Amino acid sequence: MFSHARLIFGIAAKHLAKRKRQTAVAIAGVSVGVGFFLAVSSLMIGSQNDFIETLINAAPHIIVSDEIRSPKPQPAIAAMPAAAVQIHGYKVRNEVRGLKDWQQIARAAQAIPGAIVAPSLSGAVTLRLGGREEPLAIIGVNPEIEEQIGNVQENLSAGSLRNLETTQDGVIIGEELAQKLGVGMGDTVGATSRVGTRSLKVVGLFARGRGQFGSNNGYVLLREAQSLTGQPFIINRIGISIPDPYDAKSVAADLEARFGYKSQSWQERSADFMTLLLTRNVIMYSVVSAILLVASFGIYTVVSNSVIDKRRDIAILRSIGFSEKDLKRIFVLEGIVLAIIGVLAGWALGLFLMLILASIPFPIQGRTEFLPLDRRLRQFIIAGAASLICATVAAWLPARKAARSDPVDILRGAA
Amino acid sequence: MTSLMSARALTRILSTEPPVTLVRSINLDIVPGRFHAVIGPSGCGKSSLLYLLGLLDRPTSGTLSFNGVDTQPLDGDERARLRLEHFGFVFQFHFLLPEFTALENVLLPIRRLAQMRDADMPEQAMTILEQLDLAGQAGKTPDRMSGGERQRVAIARALANDPSLVLGDEPTGNLDSENSGRVIRIFQRIAHEQGRAVVCVTHDPTVAAAADIRIHMLDGAIERVE
Repeated sequence: MFSHARLIFGIAAKHLAKRKRQTAVAIAGVSVGVGFFLAVSSLMIGSQNDFIETLINAAPHIIVSDEIRSPKPQPAIAAMPAAAVQIHGYKVRNEVRGLKDWQQIARAAQAIPGAIVAPSLSGAVTLRLGGREEPLAIIGVNPEIEEQIGNVQENLSAGSLRNLETTQDGVIIGEELAQKLGVGMGDTVGATSRVGTRSLKVVGLFARGRGQFGSNNGYVLLREAQSLTGQPFIINRIGISIPDPYDAKSVAADLEARFGYKSQSWQERSADFMTLLLTRNVIMYSVVSAILLVASFGIYTVVSNSVIDKRRDIAILRSIGFSEKDLKRIFVLEGIVLAIIGVLAGWALGLFLMLILASIPFPIQGRTEFLPLDRRLRQFIIAGAASLICATVAAWLPARKAARSDPVDILRGAA
Repeated sequence: MTSLMSARALTRILSTEPPVTLVRSINLDIVPGRFHAVIGPSGCGKSSLLYLLGLLDRPTSGTLSFNGVDTQPLDGDERARLRLEHFGFVFQFHFLLPEFTALENVLLPIRRLAQMRDADMPEQAMTILEQLDLAGQAGKTPDRMSGGERQRVAIARALANDPSLVLGDEPTGNLDSENSGRVIRIFQRIAHEQGRAVVCVTHDPTVAAAADIRIHMLDGAIERVE
């Protein structure tokens, strides 16, 4: 038995072969659409992944701090939830801040295989030198752990994180701040906190323009921070890095539920960036989808012209005994064939464009970087499927007209 | 003799404004093995009658039965199937698919019907072409054939699935007298030797003269049958 599909395909292919130029233009339309879709999306997704990676690695994936999102209700209110409680004349208790059961939190976090837990203390001091004063948020860390968890070391332009261990009263500050105070590596600067004044020695400098390691953050040894701010043995921040950064949200929620302290995942911390990325994606997908959609107009034109040109053939085929469905299939298939060839050519074009993009060097702060590109199969499949769907719809509209046209009307007009 | 196709009170009115009556209360029996000619002036409804008989068009009223089966309840697919298996059309202009060779044109209905092995199909098409002295044209596309050759390829295509009814719409209208003569002889042969019913709408007096049964039409109705 001669396969029905082969017969239908044979007729569709002959129609297309007859209109070589239009066919080529329609295929070119689809392939350019698919190619640019791939190039643009690989660039957008690549840069987005790169950016998210920066967000993830900039700081511990989860930061537990000694804050609570909403204060505990007064015991009287908790005891009588249904009653109207008025409290007055209560005594303000001066509690020592910090994570009270930080060892327990650390142990809970360490229960996750591969997790790195870095307790730290942050506080505020004022740096003085001569007549100048600059506020500084200091973070007391354990350099050995900090090295594994964040990227402090990578952002240093001078010195090293380990210098904090080897140098008494060492501090790492930003280049901008150092310039404002007029200090350099090895210089001493005065640090005043609410408990007194000490001298600190600059043992490291952050490079300029490194976001969160900005001008007013400084790193000191944990012990140093504790004594400098008069909070011995206190920890007010636990940084946690986990093997799969995308688990951060649930781990953070779990820790917060268990210990009550505010646990911020990197996702929460970067929520505004994530919204921005989402907006960017919406824009990108609307633009590239428009390209794909416009490409399908070419297919509509080809199939529509084919239907008009082949009015007589439609009548002949109907008289021979081809059904309306057969006719519809022939013309829809023409669109699908165009789309398939266009998609294949588009994939090739996309790969070629990615190759070009990947070869463009970008000098950034002295280093040569290349555009981050996402070349996952997923984008190829999305572009291909979207084109096929558009093409099928674009071909289906004129094909339906072809199937519905009355052979008698055509024959009367032709005779 | 039993009729292959019979029309009773067959009427076709175009629902335009005002309505146009194409075919009016026609009673007609199409007989196997006979060459029927439908003759009459232009616009008398000959072609419209042919389209009704060929199940390309549906009557406004009346009945049309094929092999004793009423065609009225059949849907589009069933009518297409009936055309494919039992009917062969030949039009005034050859109406071959221009991108296909003679052989491929004849193969179209055979492949669509798909009732024999793939390998046997070209042989079947070739046999029909040979019967019409077209063996040498098998590989040619219509634009490389003469008018007479094209029309005979069209007849070959109409005969491809061994139809019981062959319908011609002015099949000689575009041919010179020599080629007309050949087409007429082919129609006579397929009627008399192969036992098919042949119905030809024609202006051509030689076709009318060659027919066994002449159906004269006027203003959409049958004037007389001889």
